[in-house]
Amino acid sequence: MLWAVLSIFVLAAVAPFIARVTKQATGWVLGLLPLAVFAYFAQQIGPVADGTPIRQVHAWVPSLDLTLSFYLDGLSLLFALLVTGIGTLIVVYAGGYMHGHDQYGRFFSQLLLFMGAMLGLVVADNIIAFFIFFELTSFASYLLIGFYHTDEDNRQAARKALVVTGGGGLALLAGLLLLQQVTGTMEFSEMLALGDTVRAHPYYTGIFVLVILGAFTKSAQFPFHFWLPAAMAGPTPVSAYLHSATMVKAGVFLLARLSPVLGGTDLWLYTLVSFGAFTMVLSAWLGLRYTDLKQILAYTTVMVLGLLTMLLGVGTSAAVKAAMVFILVHALYKGALFMMAGSVDHETGTRDVLELGGLRSEMPYTMAGGLLAALSMAGLPPLFGFIGKEVTYEAALGAGPIGIVVLVASVLANAALLAGALVVGIKPFFGGEGSFTRHPHEAPVSMWLGPGILATLGLAFGLVPSLVDQTILQAATGAVLQSPYEFYLALWHGINAPLIASLVTFAIGFALYVQWARVQPSGFMQALDGFFGRRPAAAFERGLFEMARLSQWTTRRVQDGTFRHYLLTVLSTFVVLVGSSLLLQTNIQWPTEVLGVRYYEAALAGIIVLAALVAVRTHERFIAILALSIGGYAIALLYLLFGAPDLAMTQFTIETLSIIILVIVLLNLPGISGQVSLASRVRDAVVATGVGAIITTIALTVLSTPLDRYVSDYLASRSYTEARGHNIVNVILVDFRALDTMGEIGVLAMAALGVYVLMRMMRQNRDTPEASIESDDKVLTEAEETA
Amino acid sequence: MDLLLILPLAIPLGTAVLTLLLRSVPGVQRLTSVLGAVALLGASGTLLWRVATDGIRAAQMGGWPAPFGITLVADPLSAGLLGMTAFVAVAVAVYALAGMDEARQRFGFHPLFHLLLMGVNGAFITGDMFNLYVWFEVLLIASFVLLVLGNERRQLDGAVKYVGINLVSSIIFLAAVGLLYGHTGTLNMADASGRIAELRGSGVEATLATLFIMAFGIKAALFPLFFWLPAAYHTPPAPVAAVFAGLLTKVGIYSLIRVFSLLFPDPTGYTRTVLLVIAAGTMVVGVMGAMVQRNVHRLLAFLVISAMGYILMGLGFFTTLGLVGAVFYILQDVPVKTTLFLIGGMMERDTGTARLGEMGGLYQYRPVLAAAFMVPAFSLAGFPPFPGFWGKLTLVQAGLEAEQFTIVAVALIVGLFTLLVVAQIWSRAFWRPATEDDVQASGSTSQRWALNGPIVALAVVLLAIGLYAQPLYGLAEQAAANLVDTQAYVDAVLGPSAGA
Amino acid sequence: MEALLAIVSGILFACSFYLMMRRNLLRFVIGLIILGNAANLLIFTMGRLTRDHPPVIPYGAELPIEPYANPLPQALILTAIVISFGLLVFALVLVFRNYLTTNTLDADTLDAAEPDEPLDVHTETRRLPA
Repeated sequence: MLWAVLSIFVLAAVAPFIARVTKQATGWVLGLLPLAVFAYFAQQIGPVADGTPIRQVHAWVPSLDLTLSFYLDGLSLLFALLVTGIGTLIVVYAGGYMHGHDQYGRFFSQLLLFMGAMLGLVVADNIIAFFIFFELTSFASYLLIGFYHTDEDNRQAARKALVVTGGGGLALLAGLLLLQQVTGTMEFSEMLALGDTVRAHPYYTGIFVLVILGAFTKSAQFPFHFWLPAAMAGPTPVSAYLHSATMVKAGVFLLARLSPVLGGTDLWLYTLVSFGAFTMVLSAWLGLRYTDLKQILAYTTVMVLGLLTMLLGVGTSAAVKAAMVFILVHALYKGALFMMAGSVDHETGTRDVLELGGLRSEMPYTMAGGLLAALSMAGLPPLFGFIGKEVTYEAALGAGPIGIVVLVASVLANAALLAGALVVGIKPFFGGEGSFTRHPHEAPVSMWLGPGILATLGLAFGLVPSLVDQTILQAATGAVLQSPYEFYLALWHGINAPLIASLVTFAIGFALYVQWARVQPSGFMQALDGFFGRRPAAAFERGLFEMARLSQWTTRRVQDGTFRHYLLTVLSTFVVLVGSSLLLQTNIQWPTEVLGVRYYEAALAGIIVLAALVAVRTHERFIAILALSIGGYAIALLYLLFGAPDLAMTQFTIETLSIIILVIVLLNLPGISGQVSLASRVRDAVVATGVGAIITTIALTVLSTPLDRYVSDYLASRSYTEARGHNIVNVILVDFRALDTMGEIGVLAMAALGVYVLMRMMRQNRDTPEASIESDDKVLTEAEETA
Repeated sequence: MDLLLILPLAIPLGTAVLTLLLRSVPGVQRLTSVLGAVALLGASGTLLWRVATDGIRAAQMGGWPAPFGITLVADPLSAGLLGMTAFVAVAVAVYALAGMDEARQRFGFHPLFHLLLMGVNGAFITGDMFNLYVWFEVLLIASFVLLVLGNERRQLDGAVKYVGINLVSSIIFLAAVGLLYGHTGTLNMADASGRIAELRGSGVEATLATLFIMAFGIKAALFPLFFWLPAAYHTPPAPVAAVFAGLLTKVGIYSLIRVFSLLFPDPTGYTRTVLLVIAAGTMVVGVMGAMVQRNVHRLLAFLVISAMGYILMGLGFFTTLGLVGAVFYILQDVPVKTTLFLIGGMMERDTGTARLGEMGGLYQYRPVLAAAFMVPAFSLAGFPPFPGFWGKLTLVQAGLEAEQFTIVAVALIVGLFTLLVVAQIWSRAFWRPATEDDVQASGSTSQRWALNGPIVALAVVLLAIGLYAQPLYGLAEQAAANLVDTQAYVDAVLGPSAGA
Repeated sequence: MEALLAIVSGILFACSFYLMMRRNLLRFVIGLIILGNAANLLIFTMGRLTRDHPPVIPYGAELPIEPYANPLPQALILTAIVISFGLLVFALVLVFRNYLTTNTLDADTLDAAEPDEPLDVHTETRRLPA
């Protein structure tokens, strides 16, 4: 399985180069690999259906307990077959559909990247590996939705999908990691047996909510449903593959995978059933509002996702069976219908049902496939869709107290689905000639083959359900239920309750179809669409906008461009942070004095303080500088008094030099006009005093314990004996701590270089001169305008 | 004495001196600069390999035994950072061949660049508190001069703020070193580690810890001390900004981790809370700032801040797993940030504007740059399989284990907004259409190679780290183990007997 | 005496930080000078004080005569003084050069690098551009 997954990624990496050689045959060539992988997985049906899941483990990041482990049970096999099987047809189809686009190669690269990720997702056993593939599908989906990137609306749609699914992904990550902590394992296969532990754990609710967020965003459940119709901005093969047949089912897959672990509680039941049922009914009806083929199909996809969520929520054997059947049913007809819509669009230049019509003679093969698939979608016998609907009703009837809700919701949704299916399947091909500019032809074989095969399978499985029921579907159901479950599917079960529900569905559905032209533009539909279709999407964009405004507001206040405010904030932080620590965590103590104070020392200290205060108070530069130098020299004297003659000398020299430079450079510059308010001066003084007081307090507390001079003693004892120097300070500088001195010289040298640069280098511009000046000026003028 | 530990200081110093002397022969000067960086990569790479296989190495400068002289120490964290530093140094040195204008090269870009590397390396490798201060000043003054090199008005303007706030940080650091000496009587960090444990009682060490949070917090651009960074990082040319973004804040956060691990290994609940609050603030303010920037370089500068929050969060948990996450995050963030800023430079070069709203067409006309951008950008957003994901994953895991749910939620939400910001850059600068005339390649073919080569190399390495994280992750685990149990570090510095 | 110097050092810190927060960049530089002195004085105090006896080994002796002033902080301060001086001069010239470019020493006019820009959004449709 490792090679199955990896080879697709490798193909994705080299696809643009292959495309350059193979040109219009690219689809056929690139389709060979997915086909081979499909064949590989098809071979596994036998063993897996016999009830032995296949598990393969490869090391990846052992430090993280992350293995590239694969787990192939019925559920993952069903999905793997869909991903590779439909994937093959899509690649072939895209070879025709995308032909002539100047980023043809890149398209296949991204499409195959998705395929690899999706395949990895469904067969991964390790939760981290699963998550990585999960995020990769979001990433690939982002790129593919925005494939027609020149249009801003498409970029916006891509962003919407990325943020919604990416956000859900983050919740999922937290949920999976919590699950790992509770179960102590990273492998799904080992978690499956630990459901009771998880359900009894205090984290259960948290895990449930986080996982559900991941699943609902990915599978477009209300209130996150809005990104999926927007995602139709992508090329049609993408819509067919990612946004109906495979990726959007990743959330459902996750629910199915984890239902043995998280399922079976009231929380699970009511949350999934209510959100699923609501999403299902809502989107089925919203689909009737649209005339764009892809929009209708998108909403009905959301409807099916809601249905699947609801069924998994119910969680009975019959419901799980229905879910598995419907996954297959839906993948077959929806993949075909999207491709059909793409072909129609490709040939006529429009996807609007109101503009289409009468294509049956020009596009017979496309029509055959499309119509067959639409009938399956409508749930009419003898197609596989009919069986799907029947088992759903059967599950609803057996769902206990909530069964009636499930049943009514399903009937309502399926009726609308039927109408939608007929609109999609019949309108473009029958009736009068449509109003399109191009003269339509039958699409090339690469483009009708795929829908044809899928639609034919929909018919075949309906007529001969034993092709799938005893094998893959039964294995998948058993995997979700975690116990073997046998069933047979059939078109005819005699006259029973599901059949009656079906008949009711047909009646409502046909009535809706007949009245569609009136229902579609009706006020009710407009209101429904406005409230549930457009508003969530608008609210999302509005949310981003408000978020940006909030950010702008915050950033303007925090990073306001005023240097003094920056310093004030830094120093205030000092006062709060260090000050509170001092008060809360330290026993402030008065030092045990080593030396008393002599009067001339006190006088010197007084001079230092006074000089500093004068420098603060005065606005006369000359006086400030005078005070500065007096204070500096007083410090030098102090050093001299306390046995530091070298220090005194250096201080004296440096002080003198600093003052001289200060005088030369700055004394003749003009002052500045304008004063800051008294309030802010007081504020600054309080903060500055606070910092000073805190440093003094820490120093006093440190001084309260004696200093162990062992390092200095050692240095003094070796200074002459080993380093041959009489002046210990000098020996420290040039020998014991020579590295410091080296750094110090480096600093001086660079400071000199810096002064040279500042004084001698002409004002430079970037190597793209016009760019930086232009943007500089533009920034400044814009700022002035706003000011 | 262990020569291998001196080379990360000696090679940049030698290269700096040579490039200064050779400034009248530009061709030779540039060649020397690149060769110096390559030599540094060789030395640091060897050191990293030796440390990873044989354990911590220490060298006593001048042969004076610790704690009396200055000790250089390379543990897995230091060695890993040295390796990453040298790696991005090579990339930047090559990029600068074409990405740095003549005048700036003439006025000392190359010597300053290598002295900056020396300062950074020194800070990573020293085991002495005061020596750390000296290296901070070395890298600081080097960054000051690199920042103003060119004397553009924006540069000077940003530099005043940058210099002003960083000098405050230096002085707080110096005062903290003085106070630490007054408390413990030693400057050697390993020695002080033992001394401070004996001196508990007054509780002054908790306050000293906050002093270090202040000093290093400013360097690491933590909330609310980061102002200098968005004021300045977008003003110098791309190679300078890239090396700043890749390295300077890392030195601050590295020092914070080192100091906490050795001196304040089990902080009070107060200190932990403070660190986590700061971490949350840093993440949030960084990403919010990034969301509103119109200049692509400034936007990236805010993202630098946001990433610092993640690293600090790992430290704030004070668990082994948290430190693994933090260390992994730092190590991968060095090349990520460097790459992003280099790409930012290319984006401006080729579109002729730094304004996001005016860019476009890069996806269509610069597919290689676009692919290279994807890697660090989505890595920053924590998207798999890019390296940032592993850091985020580990940090989230550590946070959940420590039951710090609030900060984990903040981190995840900030991750989402980072994703949005990254998508905005992608959408507006890369996807948005432009005519071929708007996207113009400047420079000769060989110059284009010098510019694109390092970017592609960095992106490929990052992708490799992302796909096969084990080596770097293993190193981060080693580093974290040594940070939690500092005995090995102390033994390497003071000798086994003194440590026991 | 140590306590007195600790207080003096604290006052110097306070004065310098106050000066640094003034609008006139010249006063910022003056604050910077005092700041260096404040830190050095603090380190000096931290090494504890000894009157009159420099840490020098007399000729003919191998060890200094007790008591002698603590040499280590002195060495640190020497390094720190020189470093601060280098940084100070750079800062000074930077302020000067900035004056040459902008013709003012007013800290509040530093906005070339950080102009206040309006948010880049579609205000009418109330959404972010993509």
